[in-house]
Amino acid sequence: MTTFKETVKWITQYQKRQWEAMPYEGREFSAALYEKDGPIARITLNRPEKRNALNDAMFNDLMAGLHKANDDSDVRVVIIRGAGTSFCAGHDLSSPEGEESPPVHPNMAPNVRDFYNIERRRCNKHEDLFNFPKPTIAQVHGYCIGAGGEIQAACDITIAAEDAQFGIRGFGVAPIGLYGMNMGPWPGASHKLGAGKMLPEISGKEMDMIGTINKAVPLEKLEEEANKWALAIASQPPDALAVAKEFINGMLDITGYGASWRVHYEGHVTIQWVRFRPDEVSFYRSKKHGGLKGFLEERAIHATPKKKSDPQ
Amino acid sequence: MNYQTIVYEEANKIGTITLNRPQRLNAINDLMLDELDDILRVKETDTDIKAMVIKGAGRCFSVGQDLGGEGNAEVMPPDSQAHLSTKDLIETGTRWNRRLEYIFNYLKPTIAQVHGYCLGLGLYISMACDITIAGDDAVFGDPSLRMGLLTGIPLWTWLIGIKKTKELVYLGRYLDAKEAERIFLINKVVAAEKLEGEVGKYAEALAIPPGDGMVVCKESINAQMESRGVGSAWRFLTEMQTINWMQLRQIPAGEFNFWEARSKKGLKAAIQERDAAVEKFFPKPSAP
Repeated sequence: MTTFKETVKWITQYQKRQWEAMPYEGREFSAALYEKDGPIARITLNRPEKRNALNDAMFNDLMAGLHKANDDSDVRVVIIRGAGTSFCAGHDLSSPEGEESPPVHPNMAPNVRDFYNIERRRCNKHEDLFNFPKPTIAQVHGYCIGAGGEIQAACDITIAAEDAQFGIRGFGVAPIGLYGMNMGPWPGASHKLGAGKMLPEISGKEMDMIGTINKAVPLEKLEEEANKWALAIASQPPDALAVAKEFINGMLDITGYGASWRVHYEGHVTIQWVRFRPDEVSFYRSKKHGGLKGFLEERAIHATPKKKSDPQ
Repeated sequence: MNYQTIVYEEANKIGTITLNRPQRLNAINDLMLDELDDILRVKETDTDIKAMVIKGAGRCFSVGQDLGGEGNAEVMPPDSQAHLSTKDLIETGTRWNRRLEYIFNYLKPTIAQVHGYCLGLGLYISMACDITIAGDDAVFGDPSLRMGLLTGIPLWTWLIGIKKTKELVYLGRYLDAKEAERIFLINKVVAAEKLEGEVGKYAEALAIPPGDGMVVCKESINAQMESRGVGSAWRFLTEMQTINWMQLRQIPAGEFNFWEARSKKGLKAAIQERDAAVEKFFPKPSAP
């Protein structure tokens, strides 16, 4: 059995923001790419063969890209987008044990303190993106699931393709997500987004309609639209933007938004001890028997509403 | 009561305050602020008045703070070149926020009746009112950030959520009444010619319940918002405005400087230059 002390590669000082702790000098970006286009920095999630599922390498490149964009005074706005068919399919559930980004593998036998450390770093990656000092835009197409949804939720602005598919699938546990936090406490969304809406994906068009993202456009216009918003924001005084972002986010902290990030990672710890009924899907149990594919099949069966005539 | 910049009338237990500088599109200067404060204070204890309507004379509700050079020391951020002390800046910000918070907590139901432009401080007044009804010719927006200024009210996220708040504050773009209704920035949009009648209906309905009961209801709703931190948010705005105003002392070369443009090219040209940058991407809804 591997222990945490041996595999932890990502220890950072808690005081540092996660992107600040990720060096970019001399870095070869690969799992996420970085490019500069005038005042715009583009970070492209780049594991298209995995629908940009998040693993540590991708998170690290994303964080390093944010670090680079922050230090470059020419950069006035950051666009985050995905290569290939999707924005991001969520955590890479096929990641080897020891990776921090996906759900922690039970073989790691973490104690509660290990867990809190992991979860703080994990959730702080999203929170530090949320509080990134420059304006951020998520350019979303294809799947935007789970942790991918959290990344777009943590951006200031989300522009999506009308046929993008947002959703939270959980891993046989519960559809929790920071995602929900952008919807839950605020008007216009919560009453329209019951749990029943969480499993089938919500289209970009519907997300636009309920006001949870800023705009949905046809896929072929997505890039143009995101660039338009980026250039419009880049034309604003950067210092005043920094003050406005700090004000809005600080105000959200006053309302308890900061605490809700914390509740989120505490929730991650709690769900490790969820007991499953025999008729419920457990990610680890299912994966152990049938592998990732077996789990996905089992989950799909359970996610399909049963007809009344079906045997219970 | 002799007011120069507002008109106050009452009928059927409803008070109506009309912002009345139509030749300046009801731009709000220090005198209008004073008079608005005064009439609200005087009428707050008048139990015969059970609802208060705020509207604008002429072509619009209000284009916001009077950006001209005179008689607006209180509505505009402190002169950056005057190098006021931090204490003075905090006090200025506190007064600013108290004024809007007073309208928000006013002990009568309030309705903003909006037609035409409703920008900047005009929009903040509309947001601080309990209910906003707009004509379909209304145009809303907060161009503050284009001048390097922080928005002047914290109620954004409470009304329209996080992403929309950031969109409208960051871009300062203008939106029409229909969109404002869709995102909950206002309560209702009606055809322009039906605006007066619709507001009358709402006001009369608000005047039916016992005034004390109405006040308890309003107070408890606002207290719910207070329990979610809205009081701290007003205060936090003051602190951030202080930082913002200090920052205005040093607008970097190459950035648009509204104050410099105003003194060199005049107010109108400065406003045009201010708006052009964003309107290139997000055109203004058709002008009222």
